[in-house]
Amino acid sequence: MAANFWASSHYKQLLEQEEVDVVHSPDKEKGFTLEDFKLIKMQMSNYIAKLAQYVKVRQRVVATAITYMRRVYTRKSMTEYEPHLVAPTCLYLASKAEESTVQARLLVFYIKKQYNDEKYRYEIKDILEMEMKVLEALNYYLVVYHPYRPLSQLLQDAGMTELTQLSWGLLNDTYKMDVILIYPPYMIALACIYIASVLKEKDTTAWFEELRADMNVVKNISMELLDFYDSQKVTADERIGAALHKLALKP
Amino acid sequence: MGEGGGNSRNNNNNNSNRPAWLQQYDLIGKIGEGTYGLVFLAKIKSQPNRGKSIAIKKFKQSKDGDGVSPTAIREIMLLREINHENVVKLVNVHINSSDMSLYLAFDYAEHDLYEIIRHHREKVNQSINQYSVKSMLWQLLNGLNYLHSNWIIHRDLKPSNILVMGEGDEQGVVKIADFGLARIYQAPLKPLSENGVVVTIWYRAPELLLGAKHYTSAVDMWAVGCIFAELLTLKPLFQGVEVKATPNPFQLDQLDKIFKVLGHPTPEKWPTLVNLPHWQTDQQHIQGRKYENPGLYSVVHLSQKSPAYDLLSKMLEYDPRKRITAAQALEHEYFRIDPLPGRNALVPCQPGEKIVNYPARPVDTTTDFEGSTSVQPPQPVSSGNAMSGSGVPPMVAARPLPRNMPPMAGMQRMPGPGMSAYNLASQAAMGGGMNPGGIPMQRGAGGQPHQQQQLRRKDPGMGMPGYPPQKSRRF
Repeated sequence: MAANFWASSHYKQLLEQEEVDVVHSPDKEKGFTLEDFKLIKMQMSNYIAKLAQYVKVRQRVVATAITYMRRVYTRKSMTEYEPHLVAPTCLYLASKAEESTVQARLLVFYIKKQYNDEKYRYEIKDILEMEMKVLEALNYYLVVYHPYRPLSQLLQDAGMTELTQLSWGLLNDTYKMDVILIYPPYMIALACIYIASVLKEKDTTAWFEELRADMNVVKNISMELLDFYDSQKVTADERIGAALHKLALKP
Repeated sequence: MGEGGGNSRNNNNNNSNRPAWLQQYDLIGKIGEGTYGLVFLAKIKSQPNRGKSIAIKKFKQSKDGDGVSPTAIREIMLLREINHENVVKLVNVHINSSDMSLYLAFDYAEHDLYEIIRHHREKVNQSINQYSVKSMLWQLLNGLNYLHSNWIIHRDLKPSNILVMGEGDEQGVVKIADFGLARIYQAPLKPLSENGVVVTIWYRAPELLLGAKHYTSAVDMWAVGCIFAELLTLKPLFQGVEVKATPNPFQLDQLDKIFKVLGHPTPEKWPTLVNLPHWQTDQQHIQGRKYENPGLYSVVHLSQKSPAYDLLSKMLEYDPRKRITAAQALEHEYFRIDPLPGRNALVPCQPGEKIVNYPARPVDTTTDFEGSTSVQPPQPVSSGNAMSGSGVPPMVAARPLPRNMPPMAGMQRMPGPGMSAYNLASQAAMGGGMNPGGIPMQRGAGGQPHQQQQLRRKDPGMGMPGYPPQKSRRF
């Protein structure tokens, strides 16, 4: 429910990593690997963030849109649900859900600005059609909790507001992965604080102990995030390009 | 939930325009119309709920080519998270990809407070009995307390949005409906006018009329106070004439009606009054007039010493910060004295009490799902007891069609969708702090409705976004 994460559809829908890391069969038939799948989701997260900058919506809308997009791909294949259409559509839907509606024609304008490639230049009609399909794929569950609010509250509580900027940036980067589908938001916030405190050499052991949070989970999320940064060093555009190329192959 | 429009390109020639999902229902007719679209009555065709009545709310396609309306999105968003006996239950969502329309299916409620009040005023010529008034008010507050403790403000409470279940296992249970304007208020709320929304002004709180920019749950409590008074007197308490100018006109007449009954608000009693935009800019209008205070008690015919009057006056407190909350109201003395509130608000258990038979909701059988009207002469159809499965024509009863209903001045008639919880037994058996019911199942046996509220308030998870219950100590 709205104020209580533990009674919300978001909590009930949390998945195991193995449930998220499923390449659907139409994609598999194209030779799609789990790595490809993750890369494209990351690329589309970036795309959503980019479009959001143009249409000027808050980070919260971006975060909700990315969560929608990632939820869609736990159930649908990229072959059937073209990522370059799903991504802006999720931003469009999230803008309505988060009370800052962006007009479809504005999105279409910036999509065309982004892509010269004819096949990614979608029209309003395409977005509106996909909106219905995304709603259905989300099973009409639209409320998403984000770690931003818990993050600032936790930092206040810990008296470590000087870590705000760093941990906030780390948090933004978690949306390049699927963690929002797997862990409760406050756990993700704690992981960001944990990494930030280690980087800034702040001793937070006592604070975490008093919190009695499950440190195994906090450390797992932190490791995932750090692994992600490691992989980023080698992730070049060409790997994304190769993955997208596979998707474009006719079955 | 919901079936896609994927197979909505219909290959059934008999109903060339009907989407496939509609096959699971028998469409009876239209029961309401609002700014958002139309509401239809339908019955489920197959087991396990064969013959069960469903209200299907169709959202109009957005005019400006902007897809699913934000109102529909927000209503779905909230309804998908909500689960409470006194709040409407969304049972399904359907989409029609061919014409991009969206349908919400709710459990059907036969009555609403608007019709119940009207029936008493125009047909029975007698006030609603005390037991029913108290039971409906208690259940309304119970549902509202659930919403408010989950940070949802309804923002459009009015008699036509408060539904009451007809015959069946939920008879007389109150359901709050129409969440098109409801908001989760952790996020900043834009004024209604900014969303281009028109709502009835009769139930609007004075702080909003005076231009307050921020909504609080207190606006809903003001509306409940107005509805309480209307249940007692059968007349809207503050029947202002709306200024239709845009945007967000300053509703002087509505304020005038309120001041006439409650007297002038003063900065002494309401300190933040001086910060409200219209209080300052329209001083000569608002502050200039002198009001003789006839007293709320005389308008609602209550003794100033009665618990009912005490509760009502606390709901109609000018200062939103002093106004009684839903949780506090549920514990008010009014609900602890005879007659105690019950689950079936329509049927008092006391012998000798007259049971009023309210008419079923009028159904317009000439309008199809596309909203077009057929050329056939209208046929009034009973929805209450007709089993219309397998092609048997619904029973015919004599009652007026919606178009014959005299619309009240300045008020758009919007019968909300109806509903009931599917598995009442399992809900009732849930127990614990989250039991959505909390109403004594048998009058006299429980009689302590406030107990549930205390339990719920103790639930440490509430009001703590994103934190696990066991960590609440720290935040």
